[in-house]
Amino acid sequence: MRKTRFLAIIFTFVMLTTTLVFAADTIKVGVPLAETGAYAGSGDNYWKGIDMAINEINKGGGLLGKQLEVVRFDSQEFAPEVVMQGANYLCGKMKVTSVHAGWAGWGQDIRAYGKYDAPFFCDDGAMPAVEVYKSDPEKYYNTYFITDTGGDQANSMFNMLTALPYEYPNKKIVIINTDDAWGMEVGDTLSKQFTKIGWKVAKRETVPYGTNEWGPILTKIRRINPAIIHIEIPSSQEVITFFRQFIKQPTNSILSYGWSITPLEVLTTLGKDADGIVGEMPAGMPAPKAPNAKAQAWVDQYMSIYKHPVPAGSWIAYTSVMAWADAVKAVGDEYDFKAVNKHLKEAGYDGLQGKMKFGKNNTLHAQPAAPIVHYQVQDGKLVALFTDPPLKPYGEYKFQVPRWIKK
Amino acid sequence: MSLKHMILILCGFYCVMGIMPLFFGDTDYIMNILIMILIWAVVASCWDVIMGFAGIFSFGQVAFYVIGAYSSAILSVSLDIPPVFSIMMAGVITGLFGVLVGLPCLRLAGPYVALVTFAVHMTLVPFLRGPLGRAIGSGGSQGILTIPPIKLFGLAFSSEQLVPFFYLTFSLTIICTLVLVLVIKSYWGTAFLALKDSENFAASLGISAFKYKLMVFALTSFITGLFGALYAHYVGMLSTKMLSMDVFTILMIMMVIGGIGKYPGVVVGAVITVTLSQLLAPLGMYRPLIMGAIVVVLVLFLRDGIISPIIGLLSSRRKVGLVEKSLKVSSKGK
Repeated sequence: MRKTRFLAIIFTFVMLTTTLVFAADTIKVGVPLAETGAYAGSGDNYWKGIDMAINEINKGGGLLGKQLEVVRFDSQEFAPEVVMQGANYLCGKMKVTSVHAGWAGWGQDIRAYGKYDAPFFCDDGAMPAVEVYKSDPEKYYNTYFITDTGGDQANSMFNMLTALPYEYPNKKIVIINTDDAWGMEVGDTLSKQFTKIGWKVAKRETVPYGTNEWGPILTKIRRINPAIIHIEIPSSQEVITFFRQFIKQPTNSILSYGWSITPLEVLTTLGKDADGIVGEMPAGMPAPKAPNAKAQAWVDQYMSIYKHPVPAGSWIAYTSVMAWADAVKAVGDEYDFKAVNKHLKEAGYDGLQGKMKFGKNNTLHAQPAAPIVHYQVQDGKLVALFTDPPLKPYGEYKFQVPRWIKK
Repeated sequence: MSLKHMILILCGFYCVMGIMPLFFGDTDYIMNILIMILIWAVVASCWDVIMGFAGIFSFGQVAFYVIGAYSSAILSVSLDIPPVFSIMMAGVITGLFGVLVGLPCLRLAGPYVALVTFAVHMTLVPFLRGPLGRAIGSGGSQGILTIPPIKLFGLAFSSEQLVPFFYLTFSLTIICTLVLVLVIKSYWGTAFLALKDSENFAASLGISAFKYKLMVFALTSFITGLFGALYAHYVGMLSTKMLSMDVFTILMIMMVIGGIGKYPGVVVGAVITVTLSQLLAPLGMYRPLIMGAIVVVLVLFLRDGIISPIIGLLSSRRKVGLVEKSLKVSSKGK
């Protein structure tokens, strides 16, 4: 009994103190990601890119002669107090020199990390987060949004859908989106844009995460027989079940999955069955052939490590680590946050696809060096049809009319 | 548990908590944990009173917490009501809501109460995100982003000023804990236990199930709503993600660790659960695994929660003391 009590005390002591111990010759990098809960899948995609960048820097001799040390924190499902705790732990306690978060919340993250000065890279992708930034840009000067917001991405989706080399049989669209800020933002924008050009939004359905029984909605869709069905649910299970139930009795519709095409599980589960579906990836890497040799080498390396194509978030998370490292190198002091932030904002970063720069509201708006990439699934793989901006066809890849559309 | 033991444990808890900012006032990381312990300790205590003492299988505790949070946030953001008043009003609104939920539950028993109260939890998400919620200022799917901090005597209380906020929460927690202890140890508490053990027998003794059950719904939802409101002004923003199963599970773990109906065990449960959950966050996926393992071990070996061995220890000492006393008395007699 005494032995057990002694061991329990030792365990508690170790748990409480291990995080306090750190070596002085490393540079700490904070990585708060969803490691558990509903968003763990996307958290893993960001982590792969971040890990790749950290390993690359460390293998190349480190940064300012020091090795990078990752300090992780599980943001779970982004409850405000958990996000706040993450910021206090990483920036306040562990004194990290930068924070690479991927999707980190819908604004509570901006507040939490805005208390500190270490550069904070996030992929919140929704207006509420930008609104928080806009409420006090001076205070939140260390925030960097690494992709466009849902509205901007939806505008790009609209441009792509109307630019497809395909004659729509009618002017009816059905939009299905999740009931969160992201889904609503995309759904509202698409609805507005299509109405503006004379299309009819024949059905707008807002569904919660976890919707896997699509029978009633599909019955209505079959009655409408729309030219486009757009689905914006950033979770794989729902979009997989939708396709499985849709394909049993398909309509003559282009299936547009928006961001929903990019979760890794969608293509690994559906494989060639998904051929024909279109979708997009913000700050994406065009595939299967990358735009240049440097980018291709990165894609090859990624695939050799993780044995799967590059999902959403991986490349831009990798790039944000490299951009921060570049700024630290230029400044010469990882803790000179003011100078590092100034460099990040003013000098930009020469990435794998070209020179990129953070724009209005510290957002990495779609640009040639970090484009929105529009894909179609062909032969079970994501094939880039267009990059935006400007919206232009990518490489020699051609749109294929989905097999379920009867001529 | 005797009132003496209950007060002893609670005094120990509040004495330790009260001096914590002296050591950790500069460490935001620890201060955040301490504040959340105080908030959850009261919310979980309310749940314990309704479930453990009154024997009502209410699963609406998180819903009441969210109703309180949203009420205060909407009142202060949309109607510009100072947070000090909006928090109190949120408590009253939640209390009334508790009565509304309690009324149909009085006609039901056991699992059906659980179903009704959980249905309240489930309907809150579409309500707050939908047009009705937006109409009352819930912010729909975006939530409420700019909840003002509490201002009192020229001082601002929010996540930016953790020590003042801690002591504000601490004071409120002590008041609410006293209320709960008084209820548990009063005639009301005895009535709750009687109703829980045998409703028919309690009724034959003149205890009105209607009155007491409704009262427990009103009181616990009022206090829960109050702390939900406090939380809203602490974090400064709200969304319906508060209604996720994660929050529900954490609250349930507090109850299991502390022991259902073993008040103030649930306070100890809140300390352990919040601390572990936060300290284990850097371990990622191992956090839920460790938490789950703790619950399994406790359910298998300490069904009455972590507080039961402490009570056992205190009671055995008391028994030893009584035996020694009686021996002394008898030896004197000889």
